[in-house]
Amino acid sequence: MNDFLNLILQPLDALFLSLMALLPNLLAMLVILLLGIGLARLIHFVLLKFLNAIHFDNLADRMGMTALMRKGGLWSKPAALIASVVFWVVMVLTLMLALNALQIAAIDHLVAQIFGYLPRAFSALVILLAGTLLAGFASRAVLIAAVNSGYHYAKALADGLRLLLTVLILAMTMEQLQIAPGIVLAAFSITFGGIVVALAIAFGVGGIDAARRMIEKEHAQQEQSEIEHL
Amino acid sequence: MDTIELRPEVQAQIQALGRADIVVGIPSFNNARTIGHVVRAVQAGLAKYFPEQTAVIVNSDGGSTDGTTTVVQQSGIEDYSAILLHHRVSPIAKLAFPYVGVPGKGSAFRAVFEIARSLNARACAVVDSDLRSITPEWIELLVKPVLMNGFDYVAPLYHRHKFDGTITNNIIYPLTRALYGKRVRQPIGGDFGFSGQLASFYLDQDVWQTDVARFGIDIWMTTTAIANSFKVTQSFLGAKIHDAKDPGADLSSMLYQVVSATFDLMENHAPVWLPIRGSEPVPAFGFEYTVGLEHVSVHTGRMLAQFREGLANLQEIWREVLGAGDFSEVQRLGVQSDAEFKFPPALWARVIYDYALAFHRKQMLPAHLIKSLTPLYIGKTAAFILAADAMTPAEVELEIEQLCLAFERDKDYLASAWAPDHLELMNKE
Repeated sequence: MNDFLNLILQPLDALFLSLMALLPNLLAMLVILLLGIGLARLIHFVLLKFLNAIHFDNLADRMGMTALMRKGGLWSKPAALIASVVFWVVMVLTLMLALNALQIAAIDHLVAQIFGYLPRAFSALVILLAGTLLAGFASRAVLIAAVNSGYHYAKALADGLRLLLTVLILAMTMEQLQIAPGIVLAAFSITFGGIVVALAIAFGVGGIDAARRMIEKEHAQQEQSEIEHL
Repeated sequence: MDTIELRPEVQAQIQALGRADIVVGIPSFNNARTIGHVVRAVQAGLAKYFPEQTAVIVNSDGGSTDGTTTVVQQSGIEDYSAILLHHRVSPIAKLAFPYVGVPGKGSAFRAVFEIARSLNARACAVVDSDLRSITPEWIELLVKPVLMNGFDYVAPLYHRHKFDGTITNNIIYPLTRALYGKRVRQPIGGDFGFSGQLASFYLDQDVWQTDVARFGIDIWMTTTAIANSFKVTQSFLGAKIHDAKDPGADLSSMLYQVVSATFDLMENHAPVWLPIRGSEPVPAFGFEYTVGLEHVSVHTGRMLAQFREGLANLQEIWREVLGAGDFSEVQRLGVQSDAEFKFPPALWARVIYDYALAFHRKQMLPAHLIKSLTPLYIGKTAAFILAADAMTPAEVELEIEQLCLAFERDKDYLASAWAPDHLELMNKE
């Protein structure tokens, strides 16, 4: 009978001992979580104050970041968005640290993998943000220059440029994230190459008349108004 | 304030001269074709109207490769008896050298101001080096109000073709007049007279590493003189005819340079212009006469097509800058026929004020913002040309006067959006 009882109690005893051994780790995890949440909130508060003090929203407006956010369906202020992103980055890091405190081999391995991936994720985010800003800037510059040159398809040209740059940036971002790099590279090469070849054929073969008209128009502009603007 | 370094040989020449009553500056860059005539006109003007004063002609060159400075050194009037009854007492010195600093007309002027200060000049003048219509009388008209009448700044008054100077007529003159309350008709004329004291004041401003050094020196000089309460006047110089322009000159770049310089000055002088309402005339010297002007050909149909192209392609930017109300009014202009195309003065004034406010709020990159104004400006210019086609020069001036009054009437709109607190304070007072 005693043997039978031991058979039942031993695993329970072992479980109890394991739980007792885990308890300090669990406590450490909870403390880390609480401290992390507090720290994340503090950083969010201070960062928001700082960004507002340096009029970051105005700067973002000027750089075209706000317009970009609106296009992406983000309607919060740029400063609030940055503060929220930083808040959640700190929260994720806290969660990773907290899980690490449990000292469970499987979780440790997962955390190590995630930490190893973070630099890639960060550089992908930088590529995405900087690239999108650059694409917006370049397409607006092309749009204004094309309109002022009297080019009839200015909007289409600017939209086309934005599309090309967006494809390039997305491919770079995904390559950085190591998401199916082979497929991304192949898809990008096919898409980008396809667009360029299509444009070359369109302008080279289909657009002979259009090109002639453009050259004639350019020539005609030489004979345009002689007024002195200044 | 740091001073510019002039070449040792120029410094030696300045030391040898010691002092001068009058300094006339001629900025240049590859103007060998025309600068000889300008130098001779200046020499004749100094000899004829200021025979008792010591004078120096300064050619501040931007690194010409066509021998401009050599032409300056070699140009001169061989026989003064052909144009003068009396010989001049003292010779007229000439300094021709490449300026140092940021490339641009502003840096060229800075060197002239520096030399004027070194020589303790009482009066100065600057004239463009590509002028074909300059006469010796220009020097008298630019310098005498300073030397004899105690003025600090002399702006030019020209007779120009009614279709010329459209940026001045439609933007810079109405805006400057409404902002600072002085009716200076040619704020960016390019040919100015000023006192030695004002030259020294210009030199002390911390602007010589900014866009003022590159472009925008003309509006900067005029605005700085007005905003700092220097005594300002105008002189009627006759016709202004330049050498043939560079056909490749880009209108939107030109517009950007002039308009951004004017908007930049609005930032610096906001406390000065915010309380001003209305405007007052500025006294004028010179005998006004009519002159025959060269024919100017215009194609309003093409200009209106460019305006409509802008309307079709830039509506996102225009809506953002002008706001829904003014943008819908601009949209309505797009459906007018070519023959009946009109751009109401009040709407144009608000368009310019909206752009000034967008520039102030840094709504987008300045170059993008102001270059997006180009099709609107072309539309306004086409409307102006269509309206002025059958008008006499006097009627055209009345048309411009109406535009100026529209700018003055709507100034509350600008001031209240620029600084709402300021307007509240004004209303309380």
